[in-house]
Amino acid sequence: MEKTFEANGFTKRLKSILKVDARRLSISPFFYIMVGISLIVPILILVMTKMMDGKVSVDPQTGKETVMKGFEYVWQILGSVSSTATEQSEMNMDIVSMCNIHMMYFAIAVLVCVFVCEDFRSGYAKNLFTVRAKKTDYVVSKTIIGSIAGMCMILAFVLGSIIGGGITNLSFQMVGFNLFNLICSIISKVLLVPIFVSIFLTMSVIGKQKTWLAMCLSLGVGMFLFMIISIASPLDANIMHICLCLAGSAGFAAGMGAVSNLILQKTSLV
Amino acid sequence: MNAIEIRNLTKNFGVKQALKGLNMTVPVGSIYGFIGENGSGKSTTEKIICGLIHPNGGSIKLYGREYTDTEVRAKIGVLIESPGCFPNMTVWNNLKLQADNLSIKNSDAEIRKILKLVRMEGAAGNKYKNCSLGMKQRIGIAMALLGNPALLVLDEPINGLDADGMRIMREVLVDIAKSGATIVVSSHILGELEKIATHYGIVRGGKMIAEMTAEELENSCRKFVSVGVAKKDWAKTFLMRKYSNVEEDEQGYIRVYDQTSPEEIVSYLYDNCVIVNEIKTDKIGLEEYYIDLMQGKGAK
Repeated sequence: MEKTFEANGFTKRLKSILKVDARRLSISPFFYIMVGISLIVPILILVMTKMMDGKVSVDPQTGKETVMKGFEYVWQILGSVSSTATEQSEMNMDIVSMCNIHMMYFAIAVLVCVFVCEDFRSGYAKNLFTVRAKKTDYVVSKTIIGSIAGMCMILAFVLGSIIGGGITNLSFQMVGFNLFNLICSIISKVLLVPIFVSIFLTMSVIGKQKTWLAMCLSLGVGMFLFMIISIASPLDANIMHICLCLAGSAGFAAGMGAVSNLILQKTSLV
Repeated sequence: MNAIEIRNLTKNFGVKQALKGLNMTVPVGSIYGFIGENGSGKSTTEKIICGLIHPNGGSIKLYGREYTDTEVRAKIGVLIESPGCFPNMTVWNNLKLQADNLSIKNSDAEIRKILKLVRMEGAAGNKYKNCSLGMKQRIGIAMALLGNPALLVLDEPINGLDADGMRIMREVLVDIAKSGATIVVSSHILGELEKIATHYGIVRGGKMIAEMTAEELENSCRKFVSVGVAKKDWAKTFLMRKYSNVEEDEQGYIRVYDQTSPEEIVSYLYDNCVIVNEIKTDKIGLEEYYIDLMQGKGAK
């Protein structure tokens, strides 16, 4: 009895691997933990900065007094208005500009690296790559599922910010932007995720079984692009920012995807 | 048609040449016993067939098509080194993932059938990391069997299996081969391999040194008469005077190779005052054939 071979086009292959990755993500406790962290972190930040707001600390050596300054309104945790909209031309390195949604992109690096490297660590990559000669399926699927996971984390952070704002009774006022701008800003931040995911994916396929290496590379390389988040998705964002983030994401996903594909083709998968 | 046809396959790991122009022909529907010492290039060859590592040279055809053909590759089942399972997932979820990977319709029924086949139906809810070595091996085989593969590549599939597990494995592999699938199985347990293999390939130092069918192996294996006597040294001295290939085996029997007439030996020894307690004709098995070949004795 001779075996027959069915047509196995790109769509069929992509559908099957997307199903694998979606199932893996949906039953992975780590994904839910990361989303949970994304939800809790803004609440903790807002509560703690509210508690510290207005407190005066004295330097024991110089005697200099410093007044602790927290968030003035909730949306500051999602970013700031663009520098062109204000007179401010320098970036503040205070708690407001550091402890915000942008640090979530580093948490996405951890999730993507663990998710991808686990394929190689467990040996499941053998099953995946034996039945699919084209590595593109893998790269596309991981970019899509990684981006969805990252977007969930960003949205969880936004939700956590609103809850945190409610708990701390912080103002929801919009200074220098309106609701439309805010929605555009959140969409832009969500659309930036694939840029980072495609970079983290490339670093993960370089690291393969070595999750620590993939994480170090991801955080290192991701740091270079960290600044673009606030520029590309300010609180006073508009449609242009969304288009810019969309185009950037598509470009990065294609470019870094091609690099990941090349790495997978040229290196040993076990 | 051949399921696998490899010509002049080469693979280097840095300065080490793992495969030095390996040729391999595996007919469709065969159970191909792939034998060789550790580091001889078996696993490297199997990984290249499965597309897990890339060769430096040579050609590989699967069912007459390039080994990178997506349609053929979708019908390969694999168990190389260890089963590729996520340790924190249940056995069922691991199999479910593989079923998704292979786009199997009605996957629940297929998984239940495969689990029953490898006698693991009771362990479906267990976490993979909590399974014993033998159970893990069975799960790996179950994963390889999902999706009715045309080609199965199994590297040491009976490692860690108990006697009953080995028997089940033999039966499963024979049944799969009967359904038209081709199986490449490498194992160091040659006695087990001998019971199922229809073809053999013996690899050494990255080169195929012998390829044959089970019938050819049977014909190639040296026949001998095994003699059990009380006075071993005395009998051996006399036998060596008349026959050229005489040696003592591990059990203390004297083997007279290439001699199929036990009556003649009994008569000869009787004439020299040696009483024969036990005598039988036999031939060397795959294991001895392989060892002879490796030691350069030449088994023919």
